[in-house]
Amino acid sequence: MTRRFEPEGLPRQRRGVTPGMVGRYPDFDVLESAGHWDEVTRETVLKRVHDVPEPRFFDERETETLTALCDHLSAQVGEEPKLPVLAFVDEKLADGKRDGYRYFDMPDDGETWRIVARGLDTEANARGAPSFAVLGVREQDEVCHRFAKAELYGPAWSALNVSRAFAIVTRYVCEAYYAHPWAWNEIGFPGPAYPRGYSRFGSPHLRNGETETFEALESYELDPVQDTKKRGLD
Amino acid sequence: MIKGSLRMPRDNDSAHLLDRHARGLQNLDRMARYRENDPVDLAVVGAGAGGVTLAQRLARKGWRVVVLEKGPFWDPDRDWVSDEKGSGSLYWTDTRVIGGSDPIEMGKNNSGVGVGGSMTHFAGYTPRLHPSDFRVRTLDGVAADWPISYAELRESFERIELELPVAGQDWPWGDRHSYPHAPHPIAGAAVVAWHGARKCGIEMRVGPVSITNGSFGNRPHCIYRGFCLQGCKVNAKASPLITHLPDAIERGVEVRPDSMVTRIEVDERGRCSGVLVNADGREYVQRADAVAVCGYAIETPRLLLNSTSTRFPHGIGNDSDQVGRYVMVQGATQVAARFPELLRMYKAPPPEVSSEQFYETDAARGFARGFSIQTISPLPIGWAEHVTAEGHWGQSLREYMRDYNHWTVLGVLCELLPQAENRVTLSRTETDRYGLPVAVFSHSLCENDRANIAYATKVMERIWDEAGAQDQLTIDRYAHLVGGCRMGFGPEDSVVDSTHRVWGVPNLFVADGSVMPTQGAANPALAIMALSDRLAGLLDRKRT
Repeated sequence: MTRRFEPEGLPRQRRGVTPGMVGRYPDFDVLESAGHWDEVTRETVLKRVHDVPEPRFFDERETETLTALCDHLSAQVGEEPKLPVLAFVDEKLADGKRDGYRYFDMPDDGETWRIVARGLDTEANARGAPSFAVLGVREQDEVCHRFAKAELYGPAWSALNVSRAFAIVTRYVCEAYYAHPWAWNEIGFPGPAYPRGYSRFGSPHLRNGETETFEALESYELDPVQDTKKRGLD
Repeated sequence: MIKGSLRMPRDNDSAHLLDRHARGLQNLDRMARYRENDPVDLAVVGAGAGGVTLAQRLARKGWRVVVLEKGPFWDPDRDWVSDEKGSGSLYWTDTRVIGGSDPIEMGKNNSGVGVGGSMTHFAGYTPRLHPSDFRVRTLDGVAADWPISYAELRESFERIELELPVAGQDWPWGDRHSYPHAPHPIAGAAVVAWHGARKCGIEMRVGPVSITNGSFGNRPHCIYRGFCLQGCKVNAKASPLITHLPDAIERGVEVRPDSMVTRIEVDERGRCSGVLVNADGREYVQRADAVAVCGYAIETPRLLLNSTSTRFPHGIGNDSDQVGRYVMVQGATQVAARFPELLRMYKAPPPEVSSEQFYETDAARGFARGFSIQTISPLPIGWAEHVTAEGHWGQSLREYMRDYNHWTVLGVLCELLPQAENRVTLSRTETDRYGLPVAVFSHSLCENDRANIAYATKVMERIWDEAGAQDQLTIDRYAHLVGGCRMGFGPEDSVVDSTHRVWGVPNLFVADGSVMPTQGAANPALAIMALSDRLAGLLDRKRT
């Protein structure tokens, strides 16, 4: 599977890792600033790059199924390198960390993830595959679209509110993905800023805005609202 | 204008008790230690805006005070990171069940834990309430009047603004006033909002934010790194941890972190005699002549409801079934806008410019009360929540996220009306790690609320249109929490009187946002601190 959904002309990354090695800031590597970060922050951030957690919460089958789901939700199918989203989700759930609330019609977030795994596998079974992980990419994508529209039915899905379940897994995926320096390279976010801070943040009307030398310079620009509509991505 | 202010608070040395080169408190080795069996003058439950301010003020009046805090005692150098995901420990993440037709998501959005409370991770906006906020029933025939007036809080607002200190332009709305620190410079993202607003006849002002703009005692100038919501590692943004606690400790307040109060003890006369504390599994009773509950709009009602006894079978202070009712949030819809320029909204404090032009009731708008408008600048994870809220995922999500630097965000705070059924109750089936029933928070909007939010959203869209935005994204959300133990004129429809005393229990106080009968369209932190300042002023000096 190639990255056929990417906008045409999106630059290849020359410096700094991004998922799939493409991005708008091809010469930016946030990790080059790591020496300017305070020690506790640096340790927290670099751990995500160099010390990917082993699965503790999900079993092997759940891990395979949910990895495939995360690949679709974060558009990493077939990408190299790939940001290990599920590993961070697993870590958070295994550590007993939650976000501080539960909808009255939902189980615990960890249970929600497990039900989603079961539900996706059942859906794959109905399509003749032993599990969601081995379903063809196109069919996986179709199931994900139905999940997003809360159009999945059956015993597993009746235990929860499907549209809330999609929102919950998407939230966990985004938190894991956009906490990672590879994602920051992709979007031009300079990451931690303590103790260095910023003194150039005023005029937006200069080329690339008023910037510090360590901020990312954009070399490709596209309005996603128009582009995603044009290419029918939603 | 000079940077900073020549004026320093008279009765609060906190800014001088901090160290210029370390962010943690310097006087912990001098902190008083009180015995469990020796009744202190006051046990404070919760080390947030209400509790710490009250403790500091009363310590200055000779009271012996113990503050019990469920979370840790933060050292910003050691415990906080300049990172979005890494800041999860600042939020109250124990489970709360949410329901109603418009459930309110809790956690990082509105709930703090640890010494300093939610202000450790609030954005920093500290506007005042307007005089009209105290008379909504009289003026508009909806909601409630406060048993106190704006005039009774004015000096408290001024004192707290000097102590935080607040930076901003001269304020033209409500009771006109100035701020101790000059307005901060604004970033590119706020510049476009400012221009858009001006084009459609909406006045904005820089601030008001409780962020130093110049040195303030030993607190440094803001470095504009943009991580206000992740805990200020600089000590530039105010939280009671640095604005009031250093002085409180110097004056004999003891703070016990990692100490969850699980019930309020009551004697045979129906007065409270202390609090039951769970400190890492060890249970003990801290005896006290008076108790102030300062746990905010969810935990304060929950503690009162959980404190049942023969005298108070439905929870202390709950004889009229008022505890936990009238909890309010603000309608905090955000509209993001896309510009061809790179705005890089991650820079500078997220709170920059705001407007209260729509704060008061305008009959022509077709609903009571109003809203304020403020700039917001989400970091990447927060921005992803914006994008996914519109239904984007996969390639479309990635595409929007790659465009992060082209976007900026305006938010509103719509005054939503107090409703008896928007309330905190106790779960019948689920307990937390202390064995206590968890809170169930049910929330539904009324017609006035919906009309307010819809109107405010249109105003934001108009600002962005005028500013030349290419595209917009809207996310419906809510912010802040007040009410739940409201202050009123009598026990039949409120929980505390105008002196914060729980009806029928003269030595039990509630001193936090939960006492607020209405919330205005202002962020609540300043009002919560001001209320504690006023309460302390009403109480007698104990010792000299």
